[in-house]
Amino acid sequence: MSRPLRRGKTGFVVSFLAPAVLLYAVFVVYPLLQALAISLYRWKGVSARKRFVGLENFDKLIHDEAALQTLGNAAWLLVFSLVAVFVGGLAAAHALNHKGRVARTVRGLILFPQVVSIVAVAVLWEFMLHPDPQMGLVNGALALLGVKAHAWLGETATALPSVGVAFVWHALGFYILLFLAGIKGIDGETMEAAELDGSMGLHRLRTITWPLLWSVKRIATTYLVINVMNVFALVILMTNGGNPDRHTEMPLTYLYEQAFENSQFGYATSLAVVDFALAMLLSLIVMAIYRKNPVEGRR
Amino acid sequence: MKALRTVGLLLLGALVVLPLLWVLVASLKSSREVVSSPWALPASPQWSNYAKAWSEAGIGSYFVNSVVVTVGTLAILLPVGAMAAYVLAKHPFRGSRTIFGAFLGGMMFPNLLVIVPLFVLLTQIHLIDTKLGLVAVYVAYSLSFTIFVLTGFFQTLPDELGEAAALDGATDAGTFWRVMLPLARPGVLVVAIFNAIGLWNEYNLAKVLIQTEPNTTLPLGLERLTMTQHYQSDWGALFAALVLVMAPMLALYWPFREKIAETMVAGAIK
Repeated sequence: MSRPLRRGKTGFVVSFLAPAVLLYAVFVVYPLLQALAISLYRWKGVSARKRFVGLENFDKLIHDEAALQTLGNAAWLLVFSLVAVFVGGLAAAHALNHKGRVARTVRGLILFPQVVSIVAVAVLWEFMLHPDPQMGLVNGALALLGVKAHAWLGETATALPSVGVAFVWHALGFYILLFLAGIKGIDGETMEAAELDGSMGLHRLRTITWPLLWSVKRIATTYLVINVMNVFALVILMTNGGNPDRHTEMPLTYLYEQAFENSQFGYATSLAVVDFALAMLLSLIVMAIYRKNPVEGRR
Repeated sequence: MKALRTVGLLLLGALVVLPLLWVLVASLKSSREVVSSPWALPASPQWSNYAKAWSEAGIGSYFVNSVVVTVGTLAILLPVGAMAAYVLAKHPFRGSRTIFGAFLGGMMFPNLLVIVPLFVLLTQIHLIDTKLGLVAVYVAYSLSFTIFVLTGFFQTLPDELGEAAALDGATDAGTFWRVMLPLARPGVLVVAIFNAIGLWNEYNLAKVLIQTEPNTTLPLGLERLTMTQHYQSDWGALFAALVLVMAPMLALYWPFREKIAETMVAGAIK
């Protein structure tokens, strides 16, 4: 579609784009490029001296057990939430894929945990998981069943799973909606044909729905990679930034600690660069795994 | 099958709503009641918890700050984003796809990854720990999503409308402000609500870019409050503060829930 170029057109285009492009360039693109440069310096705080050290920060990083542990924790959280989101999300989406009033109301409710502040989510779950069964709902409920109370967020075995529960509670709604859109996208004829063939319930899920949702699964996995990389507030608030003994430390909380508690600007930024590169790499792998439509090959 | 589904749906709804309801109930308990049983209802509702949270605990001033920052950001973001989206959708030129792509790229990466350079930049231009600095950063980091959604919206508007306005002698800018932007109002509204929720709740960037009490927004204020209330064991006021943070966004979300869900999913599937 070509349009006759009128006089003043360039001026119009530039003046309309300039504010957005300028703001974006200054506060998003420039810091992103800066990050690459800063990661090559040893730099303690804003005013202190800054010295070029090449790849020293990256060398330090691969020998930094705490940094590697954050990646392990993130990987664990990713697997935990992938299972929860795929199983819970798909089941919930199936239940919601109906016209009734209950389904419609619940569909509106499932985004509540995402609409409220993540800080509120963290405080809420901190109290839900409170070690004192007189106070915490979870221990209170378990006490009714005769199970003894746990300090869920304080014990090494349960701390990260507890953060995981809060994370999934917060994030699940979006993935349910995603799966719901995917299920609705499968055309009615396919479903009817399957039904006529006597394919119902779990069999239909395994042979029809699950493979046909390949593109939604790809999107969900990519988003989860990014959401897990983004976990920050939950850990800062629920486990004081990584307790016990770094068992809940996440890449971003460690980055924050290095930058703003230890004033290691250069090192913190090298962590950022590596975390970002790993997230991108993982996303590309996910894309590659789900690239092909598995259904087409079988026709 | 039908009964099973209904039970499943009720369970799902309960899983979402019960924790929130629990906070609401706890916000009306006295501190002693909070630590006596998680299941009990308050003997008599302690409305004073809200007064305490609002004034003594400082939630009131954090609340005002959050309103200022959220409204301020939207006031800049919406016109700036809509103008750019309009040009990208309706006046494409060589290189406009690249610009669009660059904006889209910002939708995916965790913004804390650039937090050190951003902190340095704001310090250098003396906008660190200011509401203005926070607003500038919020506008920049909200542009990606805003431009993405609004570009899609402008593309659905027929070209003939703009052409008719041009024939009537309107300038390109005049066509935008008087014809196209009013037509795009439903899209702008959804984008505004969507951004408002995200901005009101924003924690990561504020945590680093805001340092002092007078500029503290609600999520940061809530964090501060959890620390002080732990010492004072004033649980009732803390729960009241939680309600004050959550309720406005739930109220804003509810009338638009279907549009918001649609936009979220469309943005992801694109």
